[in-house]
Amino acid sequence: MDWKRFSFIALVIIVLFGAVVMVGQSQQRPILIITSMLATTIAVATPLTLGALSGVFCERSGVVNIGIEGMMLSAAFFGWLAAIYMFHVFGFPIGISITVGALFAVITGGLMGLLLAVLSITFNVDQIIGGTVINILAVGLTGFLNRQLFFGKGSVFGGQVPNSPGVLPTIHIPIREIFAPLCSDSIICIENIRAINRVFDQKPIAMGAVLLVFIAHFILFKTRWGLRTRSVGEHPKAADTVGINVFKMRYANVIIGGCLAGLAGAYFTIESVPSFEPLLTNGRGFISLAAMIFGNWTPIGAWAAALVFGASQALQINMQLFRESIPPQWAFLQQSYVVGLAPYILTMLILTGIIGKTTPPAADGVPYEK
Amino acid sequence: MKKLYLVLAALIIASMVLSACGTAPSAEDCASPDVFCVGLVTDVGKINDKSFNQSAWEGVQKAQTDGVADVVQYIETTDAKDYAKNIAQFGDAGYDAIVTVGFALGEATVAAAATYPDIHFIGVDQFQAETTEGVSGLNFPEDNAGFLVGALAAMMSESHKIGAVCGTDVVPPVWRFGEGYKAGAAYADAQNGTTTEVFVVYHSDVGFDKTFTDPEWGAQTAKSMMDQGADAIFGCGGITGNGAITAAAQAGAYAIGVDTDQYLTLPEAAPRMLSSAMKLITPGVAKLIAAVKDGTIESGNVFGDAGYAPFHDLEASVPAEVKTAMETINTGLLDGSIKTDVPPVKP
Repeated sequence: MDWKRFSFIALVIIVLFGAVVMVGQSQQRPILIITSMLATTIAVATPLTLGALSGVFCERSGVVNIGIEGMMLSAAFFGWLAAIYMFHVFGFPIGISITVGALFAVITGGLMGLLLAVLSITFNVDQIIGGTVINILAVGLTGFLNRQLFFGKGSVFGGQVPNSPGVLPTIHIPIREIFAPLCSDSIICIENIRAINRVFDQKPIAMGAVLLVFIAHFILFKTRWGLRTRSVGEHPKAADTVGINVFKMRYANVIIGGCLAGLAGAYFTIESVPSFEPLLTNGRGFISLAAMIFGNWTPIGAWAAALVFGASQALQINMQLFRESIPPQWAFLQQSYVVGLAPYILTMLILTGIIGKTTPPAADGVPYEK
Repeated sequence: MKKLYLVLAALIIASMVLSACGTAPSAEDCASPDVFCVGLVTDVGKINDKSFNQSAWEGVQKAQTDGVADVVQYIETTDAKDYAKNIAQFGDAGYDAIVTVGFALGEATVAAAATYPDIHFIGVDQFQAETTEGVSGLNFPEDNAGFLVGALAAMMSESHKIGAVCGTDVVPPVWRFGEGYKAGAAYADAQNGTTTEVFVVYHSDVGFDKTFTDPEWGAQTAKSMMDQGADAIFGCGGITGNGAITAAAQAGAYAIGVDTDQYLTLPEAAPRMLSSAMKLITPGVAKLIAAVKDGTIESGNVFGDAGYAPFHDLEASVPAEVKTAMETINTGLLDGSIKTDVPPVKP
């Protein structure tokens, strides 16, 4: 990850935020706009970051994973299902039910990862096909089970989707409590600190995702495991000759990748909204892939790219909030579909290589045969 | 291992076959002209879904208790591929009126009208772009429904900032909900001398169906609105809206539902559910069935009425003067003395 790319990302985010601040400052103080957009950006980027990390682990070890979308979707479903079963059928308290739900989502993701590993490593199936299998399987399986369990005749819950136990709570970082006394009596100052606090008050998976970015970076670039992972992704034959078990390394990394995609799935039904809907991931798995490529197959780069997509969604929402204040010469921005295009235009700009060439691992997508 | 596969395959096939069967209508003397029979085909889902299907079925039942219909029967659709088949069950049995529930059955309904020219079809929420003989699309003034909850939100908001999170504004009814909401808030402001800031955000993704099935986007948008001080959020746009409603309720803001009384359909949000912008499906369906019987029914688009749902858990926190004002506005919209001035489609 070079400085050019980071500065490009910083520039894009500043432009996106700046545009909204320019428009909205007549209605709202800039700091309140910026903090709200930052909070949205971090939350929206969470599943994208985790999805991209999933891709990084798989592809660094030499297995292309285009099944992130399907892994997320199935994890979202089974995590939600487990939470409901724990809560309604087994009668566990809310906290335990949700935690078990999140755990199940991760396990589901891991199992999907295992499936991809079996297909692409053991059976040498074309890895693009393997990923597609997972995407199609996830859509069919979750749609079918959702209907059979909740809408079918004699289904467990009698044709009605039960009340989910809820979502993970927001973790409060006590910035407000620490810094508020410095404000003495200034109400605006207290309001500002409250707004800044809002950026850091995120939910556990969102916070975990940021931590995982750095953990992944450390593992991949500072540990023996990481070196081995990268070596089987770059030159499996050489790795094999020095005694690294290529198959084992690839299996392990693909399953880790699956677990990360599973955590991304948990974000949807365990952390964001307490319900499952068919196809609720809405293509975010593919956006994570774009983020991974843009981040040049590095965890921190992928995270930065995910933040760009998060920021473009924050723009889409906030531009509409301040629609009335858009100056007449920019009237086209009042049309919601124009701002809705932002993420797509960004993706195109990014992927057409505006920030220079990206290099995938040399053996990415190539099955290894002894 | 092979056996396991076999058992699995048998299970899957069995579940598919089982789900394809609907409930067969009781074949009474519907073919005879003296017996007035009404059949209802649901959209994918159950008859007791506390939403569209149930409301429409209650309308059919009302027609029966009113003495209009002699035989009433319903078929629950479990797969979108069965629409035509389920309609045909009633058609072949010689029913006099068939109610099909939901926009998705529109095409199948129009096609069935050609096959069964003697039967009159009532399509709930099926806008008729062109008139088909024998099909009446029952539509609702979404702008009135939005107007009611917009006025309510403006009167209840303490921060004088309210929001609406909607599906795409490319779909006219969604846009009319949003515009009606703004107009309602403006009306309440004019009455009470307040100034309310109204945020209306549409899910503007180019992927059309995505805009109604994205609860995560809805939740994030509602949170952004609450960051800017909004304390009442109207979710209008299917599952996307549900995400916004749930997020608003979790944060302790007022949540407002859409189409039917969502207090009943979104238990997660129920404690903070202020009201819902309702399409009055039950009386609309009953009225149209009566019109079919006395032959006064017109093909093409027919409009029902809009309303607002009860306050339920928040009954005690809504002041008496707000309740009176809401009743006045509702009467005004029904008799036409209050107009939303929202055009049928986005200009």
